[in-house]
Amino acid sequence: MWLVVIQSCWVKAYKLMTRYLFNMMSGLITLYIVFALLFYGTKSIGGGVVDLGDTLEGMLAGYLTWMLAMMGSTELAWNVTNEAQTGTFEQQYLSPVGYRWIAAITESFNFVYNVSMVFLIAMLIAATTGQKLHLHLASTLPIMLSVYVQATGIGFALAGLALIYKRVQSFFQVVQFLMIGIFLVPWDRFPWAKFLPLSASQKVLQRIVIDGLKIWQIPASDLILVLSVTVAYVAVGAALFSLAESKARERGVLGQY
Amino acid sequence: MESLVVEGLNKTFREKKRVVEAVKDVSFSVGEGEMVGLLGPNGAGKTTTIKCILGLVKPDSGRIEVGGVDARKEPRKAAAKLAAVLEGARNTYWRLTVWENIVYFAGIHGVSVSRGGDYFKYLLSVLKLEDQKDVEVRKLSSGYKQKTAVACALAKRTPIVFLDEPTLGLDVEASYDLREALRKLQAEEGRTMVISSHDMKVIQDVCSRVIIISRGRIVTDEKIPDLLTLFAARRYKVVISQNGDAEAIRKAEEGALERFPGCEIKRNPQTVEVFVSLSDGKQIYELVEIMRASGVSIETITQEEVDLEKAFLEVVRREARACG
Repeated sequence: MWLVVIQSCWVKAYKLMTRYLFNMMSGLITLYIVFALLFYGTKSIGGGVVDLGDTLEGMLAGYLTWMLAMMGSTELAWNVTNEAQTGTFEQQYLSPVGYRWIAAITESFNFVYNVSMVFLIAMLIAATTGQKLHLHLASTLPIMLSVYVQATGIGFALAGLALIYKRVQSFFQVVQFLMIGIFLVPWDRFPWAKFLPLSASQKVLQRIVIDGLKIWQIPASDLILVLSVTVAYVAVGAALFSLAESKARERGVLGQY
Repeated sequence: MESLVVEGLNKTFREKKRVVEAVKDVSFSVGEGEMVGLLGPNGAGKTTTIKCILGLVKPDSGRIEVGGVDARKEPRKAAAKLAAVLEGARNTYWRLTVWENIVYFAGIHGVSVSRGGDYFKYLLSVLKLEDQKDVEVRKLSSGYKQKTAVACALAKRTPIVFLDEPTLGLDVEASYDLREALRKLQAEEGRTMVISSHDMKVIQDVCSRVIIISRGRIVTDEKIPDLLTLFAARRYKVVISQNGDAEAIRKAEEGALERFPGCEIKRNPQTVEVFVSLSDGKQIYELVEIMRASGVSIETITQEEVDLEKAFLEVVRREARACG
């Protein structure tokens, strides 16, 4: 049963992606252009204003985390909004595995796709700036996964809001900017900031990309923090979605407008 | 054996200061392999009832049993036995082809292509979708889109299927094709189907039993032939001639309306037709007496031929009168 569900979700996600090829390509180009503007813009004003790291690697670590977080959090919420409008949400809700699992499986496909895109953009950036990047796959992938899973947790919470309030798209954009804010909170002045979503993962990713460390060279306490925060945010996100789902069923607004 | 049991279902929507009692103490059951029509005016509570059964709307109270499973306690287990085409929704991905949609929606119900592929192809042939198999749904006419949604629901091979307004927006031919296909599939597979529709032809053609819902309540639950026989025996048309005595005709009309509040009066150039549904056949004598006392001439009295539409209207109007 589960294998068939996973295969169906992955095949559908892939087919839909290929049907929106222009959208996919324009997204890729936009992300590259944004990074180029950010990189050259920061360089031209002396760098260091925004703590994305003053090297290419540092900025890249920040940008990659933000990009993945943005993709993970808003894709799910956008999907719920769009599918509720078209009526496919209710059809998926009728699946015996439930919508949450279908969303999670679809997000696993999106993770693979988005990470491939992130690596592709990173290579493009390296090629155009002529700098070498420490993108050790075995080290960066697990941390990227943690970023994506935390973002999916946020995505579940946003999707829950979309189920009840429907027109919350502008709030998704606010959340994207809030996530940049999270990266900027300094841990030394605000120790609680390490428990904010994405923050711990971003710091570890910076050490891998900037300092060239391998994941096994990262202190265990940092990795435990990343793992705990990841589990906590995805669990809280899923719980909020569940709560919103129940509220939407009660109000009769699950699915369509 | 009952495939679906609904008992004491209630649902009230509360929106700010507005309270809508959408479903009020609805109880019915559907036997295995039965094809039941759900009829009702707009806002009667048909879709809410269906969505409560499907788990898309949380009822306030009541019991829902799907294939022996308590749907409120074990919603996922119940979902495995249900499929639906929902009203007003696309139900499918327009950027995927007909075949891709079928494979996906069957897949998330645990039916793989290797297990259900032959049946998917069979559905395509019965629903006359073979030529559209590899066409993206967005490029199809509304008839084909609706058939695709029906194919996706049926492909899950669940024992119970709900079709909410399956022929809405379809032209005569597409509606006929779909009805034919549903009849054929039901005869071959004996699946339990609940069809909600405004289109009486669909219900009369396809279903053996009809449940009429009005203002959130079930007002009739009858086998269609029984319902038609019941109304055929009660409904009369009395034709009186308009031979210049307007006062007599006015008196006759008033008398008929006073004694039989639901009766309809149709004025023609030469005649006046009085349509009346009687609860007892003997009441026809009372009507004749009213006409005689008014001084009008009766041309004919005939027992009306009743179709489901007339029976439905009569039931709903009677309910509306009873509720004031």
